[in-house]
Amino acid sequence: MAPPKQSLTVLQPTPSTVSFTVSTRPVPKTLPALFSFYLSVLVKILLGTLALTALWTKWRVNTAKSTWPLEIILGDTFEEWVQKAVESIQWMYLAPAALAILYKVIQRGYIESLLALSSLGLQTRTSSPTYLSTSTTRFIPTTAIQDIFIYEAFKGFEVRFYLAIVVKGEEDVVVVFPKLLPRRDVLEEVWRGARACLYGGEGGSGIRRKHEREKQEI
Amino acid sequence: MPYNIAMICDFFFPQPGGVESHIYQLSSKLIDRGHKVIIITHAYAGRTGIRYLTNGLKVYHVPFFVIYRETTFPTVFSFFPVFRNIVIREQIEIVHGHASLSNLCIEAILHARTMGLRTVFTDHSLFGFADAGSILTNKLLKFALSDIDHVICVSHTCKENTVLRASLDPLMVSVIPNAVVAENFRPLSNDSHNPRHRDAPGPPPRIGPHDTITIVVISRLFYNKGTDLLIAALPRILALHPNVRFIIAGSGPKAIDLEQMIERNVLQERVDLLGPVRHDEVRDVMVRGHIYLHPSLTEAFGTVIVEAASCGLYVVCTRVGGIPEVLPRHMTEFAAPEEDDIVAATGRAIAALRVGKVRTELFHNQVKQMYSWTDVAQRTERVYDGISGATSHDQFYQGAGAGGAWSATRGRAGVQSFALIERLKRYYGCGIWAGKLFCLCAIVDYLIYVVLEIFAPRSRIDLARNWPKKEFKDEKGRDVGSSKDDSGISRKRSARRREKRDEREESQESLI
Repeated sequence: MAPPKQSLTVLQPTPSTVSFTVSTRPVPKTLPALFSFYLSVLVKILLGTLALTALWTKWRVNTAKSTWPLEIILGDTFEEWVQKAVESIQWMYLAPAALAILYKVIQRGYIESLLALSSLGLQTRTSSPTYLSTSTTRFIPTTAIQDIFIYEAFKGFEVRFYLAIVVKGEEDVVVVFPKLLPRRDVLEEVWRGARACLYGGEGGSGIRRKHEREKQEI
Repeated sequence: MPYNIAMICDFFFPQPGGVESHIYQLSSKLIDRGHKVIIITHAYAGRTGIRYLTNGLKVYHVPFFVIYRETTFPTVFSFFPVFRNIVIREQIEIVHGHASLSNLCIEAILHARTMGLRTVFTDHSLFGFADAGSILTNKLLKFALSDIDHVICVSHTCKENTVLRASLDPLMVSVIPNAVVAENFRPLSNDSHNPRHRDAPGPPPRIGPHDTITIVVISRLFYNKGTDLLIAALPRILALHPNVRFIIAGSGPKAIDLEQMIERNVLQERVDLLGPVRHDEVRDVMVRGHIYLHPSLTEAFGTVIVEAASCGLYVVCTRVGGIPEVLPRHMTEFAAPEEDDIVAATGRAIAALRVGKVRTELFHNQVKQMYSWTDVAQRTERVYDGISGATSHDQFYQGAGAGGAWSATRGRAGVQSFALIERLKRYYGCGIWAGKLFCLCAIVDYLIYVVLEIFAPRSRIDLARNWPKKEFKDEKGRDVGSSKDDSGISRKRSARRREKRDEREESQESLI
């Protein structure tokens, strides 16, 4: 039930550029962590192929077609063994199980980032939750940014903090990190950094200002 | 000791009303005294999410279904997760519910006790005992108040009513009246700085035998507000007293009867029907009259007569509900709620005004001293001190049920104990079937709490930042600090006097 652990990475290649990245993907550092990371990737690939093979074999066996690629890869005895195993499982169990495995395998953690470029603007990016689709990015030029603030809203059965950008001419605010909704301390760090980068100085003049805006559902 | 307080009620702004403004005024005065106050209500059209009002008063508009007259659907448990989240993130210590018809408030009190918080309930209305609706409401109230730390009523009559309805120990019920913002109800004579009323003549110091006396009636025209009495008494009053006029403001189902009566008796020239007026216009209507007539049949407090007296009107009212407690004798003329007596009382009032026995121009300052929200906040704070143990038990109950062995307040309920078994004992006594049902509710509530603690642990809830507190003036600070030690009543008086002095000093400064 516990949500995956989030980590914040701040990258400042030049004084006028900061990128804040909140991620639920693990970043392995030590050797055992690196090892287990690659191991998990390997396991994922294996599981994925297994699920696909099972589905494909079941289909070939059911339609009474030959499963010659299996013979080439695994050899005679293994082919027969796989066929028998697949035959003994009904579609109603095999299909959901295989799909569930595939779903788990292609899933990966979210990465959401905010890139602040001094005097240019802000770029938000939300990675896709699977390996199959690409991330979405949005660039907001400085001229269109009216404000950037932290506020609270009801979400489900709780009240969450969110970081939002007010864009000129748009009815709704743009929520930064919309999927992960990091904790307040993370948001405050990002907010300070982004304001400092955008408006210069000590985090902007309005650092203490409270904003009386509201948005019920993020 | 500053507390973190959550006021909970279904009724809040933008809806207008007495309970709403009570909550708002009390909250803002408590904030002035250094407490942190949030308000939890349900979402209104166009008013959702989280808002800040003046002075950092935070309002949570929880998204909820509304079923009837802005009351939420009674689901008993569905409010708990959100409520728990808010309570934890705002670090609430005291939950203060308002109005017995508010379902949100009753649920919140149950959940708050499950979470081990102190609870206070303020009752604003009187209820009957006989009809089905009242019986149901009373049972529900009994459920909510079986396990509560303290109850506040707006008048002694209201207290009596609530004690009977919810079978409470009278000792755990305090009376803290409503108040008015006296600045908004100034008589005409104090109003010379206002350019709009500059040419308006102030009420003459003495009303001669042939001057016209205007009687004002402002009320919703409902049965319980005594409109029928008014309809019966009005032509007789006008027949007896030739130089009397009426101004009647308000709307309601009885308006049509009133109009028919006026037409039947051809009184159009002497009775002015204004129709509905907004609350901020009430003062402008009131200052046009000399006497305020309040023929209500039931009333828990009757803020409107305080407003009338504050505007410098002599008040004629029925002796019902909490009304007799509200104003001192010299401002009012009482009548039994019947036609003859109202005519007689109005006659007495007119005679008194003509003779000049009544110094109505002094009423405003007297009311201002009697009723202030600062005072209400102070007294409410004393209740908070009492239930949270900052004031000792003896001091809080002023010796009644002296400490140690059995005491009425703890003995009946053991109010201080949060143990589930103690709470169940209290609920079990509510009735043969109801007791068991209430116990079941309390147990389910507790289980939900345990489940929430496991699946939504406190560590995962961010604490909200507090609104930056204003720096208090030294005088005020000392006031708050020193007054803690004295006993209740003397403290109240002295603080009030001190404030008066402050105000006087301020006005002198402004003169200079």
